[in-house]
Amino acid sequence: MKVLEVENLSTHYQLGRDTVYAVDNVSFNIHAGETFGLAGESGCGKTTVAKSVMRILPDNGLIATGKIRLDGQEIVGLSEKEARKFRWRKVSMVFQYAMSAFNPVLRVGDQIAEVLREKEGCTKNEAHERVKKLFEEVGLEPSRITDYPHEFSGGMRQRAIIAQALACDPKLMIADEPVTALDVVIQGKILDLLRKLKEKYKLAVLLITHDLSVIAEESDRVGIMYAGSLMEVGDVVSVFKDSLHPYTSKLIGAFPNVAGKKTKLEFIPGTPPDLISPPSGCKFHERCPFAKPICKEKRPKQRQFDKEHLVECHFAGELDLRR
Amino acid sequence: MSKNNVVRVRGLKKWFPVRRGILAVFLKGEQEYIKAVDGVDFDVNAGETLCLVGESGCGKTTTARTILRLIEPTEGSILYHGEEITTLGKEQLRKIRTKAQIIFQDPFEVLDPRMSVRSLVGEPLEVNNLASNEKELEERVLEALKEVKLTPAEDFARRYTHELSGGQLQRVAIARSLILRPDFIVADEPVSMLDASIRTEIINLMTELQHLHGLTYLYITHDIAQARYIGNRIMVMYLGKIVEGGPIDDVIQEPLHPYTKALISNVPVPDPTVKRKRILLPGETPTPIDLPKGCRFSPRCNEASEECKRQEPELREVKKDHWVACYKV
Repeated sequence: MKVLEVENLSTHYQLGRDTVYAVDNVSFNIHAGETFGLAGESGCGKTTVAKSVMRILPDNGLIATGKIRLDGQEIVGLSEKEARKFRWRKVSMVFQYAMSAFNPVLRVGDQIAEVLREKEGCTKNEAHERVKKLFEEVGLEPSRITDYPHEFSGGMRQRAIIAQALACDPKLMIADEPVTALDVVIQGKILDLLRKLKEKYKLAVLLITHDLSVIAEESDRVGIMYAGSLMEVGDVVSVFKDSLHPYTSKLIGAFPNVAGKKTKLEFIPGTPPDLISPPSGCKFHERCPFAKPICKEKRPKQRQFDKEHLVECHFAGELDLRR
Repeated sequence: MSKNNVVRVRGLKKWFPVRRGILAVFLKGEQEYIKAVDGVDFDVNAGETLCLVGESGCGKTTTARTILRLIEPTEGSILYHGEEITTLGKEQLRKIRTKAQIIFQDPFEVLDPRMSVRSLVGEPLEVNNLASNEKELEERVLEALKEVKLTPAEDFARRYTHELSGGQLQRVAIARSLILRPDFIVADEPVSMLDASIRTEIINLMTELQHLHGLTYLYITHDIAQARYIGNRIMVMYLGKIVEGGPIDDVIQEPLHPYTKALISNVPVPDPTVKRKRILLPGETPTPIDLPKGCRFSPRCNEASEECKRQEPELREVKKDHWVACYKV
């Protein structure tokens, strides 16, 4: 069952007289019980996709075109009042900055209870009972709901944020860089927890991170973004093992591997483009070692290869991308 | 001296006093300390890259800064080319610092946005009076920029930091430390702020410069996978102590200390067909104020016995050049 369907989504930001083309014609979907990893370098539009789905774009952000269906419901064009109804109940978000996600002067438990009281109309006592259960679910002592955020370590705060995201029993959980600020040992525990919860509640998870190693270990399917476009989508093994887009291949090759053979690390010369005036044609052509004149002239169409492996490259399948 | 070492550290300690209120001073007699670095010994050999890895708060950055005396050590000895530097005065220290440099994690913070690249890179020469005239200064700046591949150098020299990308800024920072022609560089997470596609370029550049100038690196990182690609040797720190050290491939492929094993098992691998089991450590790293008795890792170690809780294990050589502080190995 498709929980999230994103179709030809373009999201822009207005910066004075300029327009930032942050997300440009992106399509993908996520099924129940599936983790979809959305990867790419900073500034490629990953978080903007998440904010579009949550409908929490800043005032200068606008969904220009496209459709987003969440649990069957079209959410582009809904008023803020209507958006409040699905937000947190159908889709919730684990934010990147565990340190600042909670208000430091309020008790952690009260802050999560607030979500329940607002969204589900629980009484104070009911809400607190449910927060205790949520704490247990994410591996925190239920007695600690009266603690303040500073009394929690980084890993515990991340668990509390996950508890909050679970509070209203959503269908889709967006985890935006959920482990980036954490040490590897704690990172492993949080990723295990997310996986356990996904399986238990048949959650659809949108995992956003720049770390392709985390994506490789945790995702069922992945999407690789570059400069606002989705360059390649497919199941995790196809995308990592039979990459079709030169960007995907180079980016994966740039990640050091602690296990297995030590091969030469790849790099991509140049820097990602300015999205106020994105390059013509394929956005990667300026940095692509295989670029030909057509890449500058025409944006490649998304083409389907075996199974659900989709790629936006004129020469997909014809290039030797062995690492 | 068996090998030609650039830096030799013995019994290095850095304890930061815990600040207390006046009442606490009267009620509780003893001053408490954060034992950030609690007795480490190591050598950095000429021409090598020694990686120092560990989780945040383990003391790796404090170690790095203390051996350049950016932080004053509490105890211990630091020899730089055989010369004890813990007792040096300001002027003598300044001389050492032209030869022993540091590259920091965040070039955005290090580089003054009001200075041009030319003044940023030339500043170390001016401060140390190492350029005899303007012309020499200019030449050396351009040469340094070419070395870090910021070309055309004349063009980059005129720019300001806001006109450069993160990778370019880190190159400026490297040029700034190279211009003094050092032989020892401490690199404190030099690529952590950069995107993956750019990291490799900086790592390759550092390796190239190492061969060109015979540099010796102490490379600090939390990323063991990255250490594998740049280091010759590695040391793993936990709560202010080195728990394991040795040739990089030995330690990463066959870690011996239970902490190193757990750490490496938790590093994600960019290959979905490789399935590894994460070793889960109970609890979290305690604060370095109240250190556990005996082996400081014992409360979280699933192999710990009574012996481990009684006395702290010392580093001992288990295989050739492979040192471990654990009774169970």
